[in-house]
Amino acid sequence: MTRPSEDDLVTGDFVRSYVITGGRRLPSPTDLSLHTLVTLAPDREPPRRASPEVRAIWDICAGGYLSVAEVAAHLGLPTAVARLLLTDLAEQGHLLRRAAPPPAQAVDRGTLEEVLHGLHALFG
Amino acid sequence: MTSLLRDPLLWILLVVLGAAVAAVTRARRTNMALRVQEDALRRELGAEKAGRALLREETAALEQRHREALAEVRQEAEEETKAVLKAAMRTLQVLADEQQLIIDRTQKNYGDDPGVVADLMEIDHANSQFNRRAQGIAVLCGGWLGRREHPASVFDVARSAQGRIRHFDRVEINAQVNVTVVSRAVEPLAVVLAELLANATNYSAPEMPVVVGIQAVPNGVCLIVDDYGVGMSQEEKDRAAALLSPQGPVDLLALGNPPKFGFAVSGVLAARYGFRVSVDTPSPYGGVRAVVLLPGDLLTADADADAPAGRAGAGAPAAGARIRDLAPAAPAVVPTAATRAVGTTAGGLPKRRRVAAERTPARTPRPDSGGPELPERHDHPAGDDSETTASRLGAFARGTARGRDTTISEGSEEQ
Repeated sequence: MTRPSEDDLVTGDFVRSYVITGGRRLPSPTDLSLHTLVTLAPDREPPRRASPEVRAIWDICAGGYLSVAEVAAHLGLPTAVARLLLTDLAEQGHLLRRAAPPPAQAVDRGTLEEVLHGLHALFG
Repeated sequence: MTSLLRDPLLWILLVVLGAAVAAVTRARRTNMALRVQEDALRRELGAEKAGRALLREETAALEQRHREALAEVRQEAEEETKAVLKAAMRTLQVLADEQQLIIDRTQKNYGDDPGVVADLMEIDHANSQFNRRAQGIAVLCGGWLGRREHPASVFDVARSAQGRIRHFDRVEINAQVNVTVVSRAVEPLAVVLAELLANATNYSAPEMPVVVGIQAVPNGVCLIVDDYGVGMSQEEKDRAAALLSPQGPVDLLALGNPPKFGFAVSGVLAARYGFRVSVDTPSPYGGVRAVVLLPGDLLTADADADAPAGRAGAGAPAAGARIRDLAPAAPAVVPTAATRAVGTTAGGLPKRRRVAAERTPARTPRPDSGGPELPERHDHPAGDDSETTASRLGAFARGTARGRDTTISEGSEEQ
């Protein structure tokens, strides 16, 4: 066992996540999925008594679209918690969001093979 | 004459005289004997009295020694009990810390599922309260709390304290100022504040809020905890005042059963770290007002205060992307290791630092194309490896980001 002393480091997040959410219900992921892209609406001022997390979101999102997953990772918060904060901001009209870009369309295998053959013919 | 001799009366007189003389003589003799006896007895009594006084002295001395021995034994027993308790609590503290790390990690791993995160929050909440109890007992037994690696803002300390009590959702924090607490005082202050908040929420009506005010005072910062309860009697206030300014080690047995640790823990920590806790001011709401006065030497000008430094402990590498690094740097940043490491996240990904907009106000934060910012400036000398890597990775990230952002002008995605 470690010897107790003042110098032992206490790790773990200092401010617990349920304090950040204020014990509120977490929103379901259907609205803001991991891939949903969000950014700040133009010409917005942060709420006057914004928490440090909200101010951090403000800084992170100011520069363009970021996915919800990225925002959560930058904040070092569980996605569900970041999602709650983002939902708040979206409800206050501070946030623009759009669905994730659709996955690339599956291209016909025959076409791809033709392209490959064409390339082989050109460059050996 | 003969007639006189024959007179019986004379003879009777003579006989009576003889008897009287004999009686007097006997009485005298008896008297003498009695006197002697009395003297002897008196002497004896004196001796006995002296003996008794001596015995009394001896008894007193013995009693004194007995009391001293008892006190010594009791103190030794208490010290030994405290040492044992301290070690036991240490184990519990370490376990609670470990559990907290596991909860942090699990919350991040399963962070997308609100149900799982909510359940983990409940476990976390219980664990935090558990840890506070263990910390309280450890402190009363002379144990240490451990030290936080980074300074934290008073606001975060208050929020951390809030998370350690059962009714955390009744606490409101009004921060008029936001200053930073030096790292060694962060944990003790949070524990003291948590104890005061626990008292405030436990001794006021369940639907009433408890308000924490953070105010600057000439020689430091005041944290004021007000509740809407019924307040304390003078006797309770005196007891609290005595516990809050302890003159020696705390007597564990005097804390009642079930024990009331709050003020005792606060007093011990305040004395150890040099801040002050008092409950003698009346609250404007009628309840108890507890005031923690943090002197200036427990505060620091470190710019870490601007960010919620509380997130992402050293033991949680997944959370290495610290918000601190993303937050706007205050004008007078001391270039600490933490602020220099802005370049990448723990995963090696670039961070989009929005600091540049503030440092170069002439530039609009969002160029006309609506795209992301131009490459940010690095305030640190070139050749710094992490900075170079960061700028390369950053360029890549900006490229991809710009690619995504070209559609912004379409505006169809607005909700």
